[in-house]
Amino acid sequence: MRKRLAVGALLSTVMLFAVVLVSGSQAMVGGSVPNSAKKLTASKVTTVSLNGWVGAKVEDDLLKTVIAAFEKSHPNIKVDYSGFNNYQTTMLAKFSARKPPDVFYVAAEDFADWVRQGVLQPLDSYAKKTKFSTKPFYTGLANSFKYKGKTYGYPKDWSSLGMQVNPALLNGQKVPQTWAQLRSVAQKINIAGGKPICLGADWARLMAFVYQAGGTGQFKDAQSAPFRVAVNFYINLIKDGLAATPDNLGAGWCGEAFGKEKVAIAFEGNWMLGYLKDTFPNLRYTLAPMPKGKTRGNLAFTVSYSMAKDSKNKAAAWTLLSYLTGKVGAKKWTSLGFALPARSDVKPVAGRGAFVKYPRFTHGWGNQVDFRHVWTEVANNELTAVLQGKETVNEMLSKIAAAAK
Amino acid sequence: MAVKERNARGLGSERLREALVGYGFIALPMSFFLLFFIFPIGYAAYISRYDWGIFRGPFVGFDNYRQLYHDTVFWQHAVRNTLVYTAVVVPLQMAIGLSLAVVVNQAIRFRTFFRSAFYFPSLASSAAIVSIATYILASDGLLNSFLGRLGYEHSYAWFARQDTALPAIIGLNAWTTAGTMMLFYLASLQAISTEVYEAAAIDGAGAWRTFWKITFPLLKPGHFFVAVVSIIGALQMFDQSFIVGGTSGGPNYSTMTVVLYLYNRAFSAHFGYAAAIGLVLFVFIFTVTLIQRLLFGKAEVA
Repeated sequence: MRKRLAVGALLSTVMLFAVVLVSGSQAMVGGSVPNSAKKLTASKVTTVSLNGWVGAKVEDDLLKTVIAAFEKSHPNIKVDYSGFNNYQTTMLAKFSARKPPDVFYVAAEDFADWVRQGVLQPLDSYAKKTKFSTKPFYTGLANSFKYKGKTYGYPKDWSSLGMQVNPALLNGQKVPQTWAQLRSVAQKINIAGGKPICLGADWARLMAFVYQAGGTGQFKDAQSAPFRVAVNFYINLIKDGLAATPDNLGAGWCGEAFGKEKVAIAFEGNWMLGYLKDTFPNLRYTLAPMPKGKTRGNLAFTVSYSMAKDSKNKAAAWTLLSYLTGKVGAKKWTSLGFALPARSDVKPVAGRGAFVKYPRFTHGWGNQVDFRHVWTEVANNELTAVLQGKETVNEMLSKIAAAAK
Repeated sequence: MAVKERNARGLGSERLREALVGYGFIALPMSFFLLFFIFPIGYAAYISRYDWGIFRGPFVGFDNYRQLYHDTVFWQHAVRNTLVYTAVVVPLQMAIGLSLAVVVNQAIRFRTFFRSAFYFPSLASSAAIVSIATYILASDGLLNSFLGRLGYEHSYAWFARQDTALPAIIGLNAWTTAGTMMLFYLASLQAISTEVYEAAAIDGAGAWRTFWKITFPLLKPGHFFVAVVSIIGALQMFDQSFIVGGTSGGPNYSTMTVVLYLYNRAFSAHFGYAAAIGLVLFVFIFTVTLIQRLLFGKAEVA
């Protein structure tokens, strides 16, 4: 008796799911809230919300001083700033609740996906109306936030890759400038318990070499010749014992391996400088541009300030956005050197020259559909498979190309 | 029993009242159950039929399921790893849990201390444990320096190598959850009547024999419960992979699990697809549990 009841209950539960599954076509009430734009009166103070991810405390403090400066020069706008962890997850929840912040960070890696979801506001008309000068933005960076000809964000800041060299470990050789020199210099370096070069098992480093080989940098083109050339160069450095990935050097990343003097050469970005200064204050090193292959090539890691399509204070939001990405805001924000200015009319702080030397050859990282999936889930896993000898380069490239298409 | 039932059937109003009181008692938990368990599953089924990004997109029928059917990352890596993980970790957890339970069920000194000590890892947050383990298992970590002293010098980064990442997680999890399994087994052990043991002792059965002939078979309901809980937990493994592989499921997909893949798909704004994965996982777990019920028979429904 009891058993039959239990079976009956089970069956009806299963039926319930089946019914819901099949009848899914019937629309449920969508959550579209009419955008009743509030009218602004000149005297009224508007509050604009600004969200980003949590940075180091010094960075957060700097952003707060930039915001304070903005509020001082714009007394009728108040900025409500907060940063959080798990940024992508949290933002998706805010978008779907139709309660996004007015202005927020967008990582170039998320950009294409977020535009396609229709949550970002096109900004071209605002820029035109307020005569916001977009020319000073480096092209590679500005393009990172364009989709089908429209702009959905302006770069907040950026960093490219550079070559960090520990001159004491070079055995008196000159800093290499080309791929060939990189190999020959590495062959004459001898580090006990280490390797000459640290290379990340990450396409966010390898792709710079693809550009240097003359490639497009688009994962969908992974089967083109420049990809093969760059991958072979990169992997052969490791196979020939001239380089190693950080996990084989007892380090979490190449910055740590470089700081511990397990390698003489590493390829990291601006973030490395503050890290080395804090963690290895006695380390002497130089910063050089990325080596040249067939051509020059570098990656630009960048983040935009964008506006929500569902923002209810678009006019004020634009005022804030254009201040933060404009000359005054960008200068204040990059004044301590945590990141590089995205505008050519703001000079970076001293010692960053190598990063910004060849802006023409610097290409935005991201801005491809489903980028995070292809990059972290497919391309990087395939790369580790190749590095551990479980797969051939050709197999990897064809899988990456397939995933990106 | 039978007489009583017949009586109840005869007295309609009394039975009704009794039933009402019963339903009254379960009304609150049942409504929570419906709201937080049944409704989300139904809603996930609904979402899975749409191209659902941040907002509801067009209705796509069974396209998400069709796409999932052809998804090589899902089948070759996520599902495979999850099954391997489950097949290894469940017996391990049960064996360790049972051994611990038998040990702390003896009348030994400091019994309470051992019970708490074995249970302690289950109380700590898995995120904290994995974070500490990443240091211990780093290439210049505690484990390697210990092995180095024993003469096995190497610089494995256990979590960063594809052949050791998943086994490392398995070992870690078997250790952390064994305490919970011990607790379940302890409860079932204490439900076994002492008379049976006395009878066995009189018949001259040794400790080993008593365990295999008496304790182990009488623990059947315990085995069932522990196996179900353990399998469901294993099939839903997420946090360890999430921390070790940094959402990528790396190195070389070796820590990609079904739930990690679901999470990644969901929060790259493919909620429809993620919901389809969730439904598939749900149906799978549901089926496995039903099969287990059949295998273990009716004994536990007492």
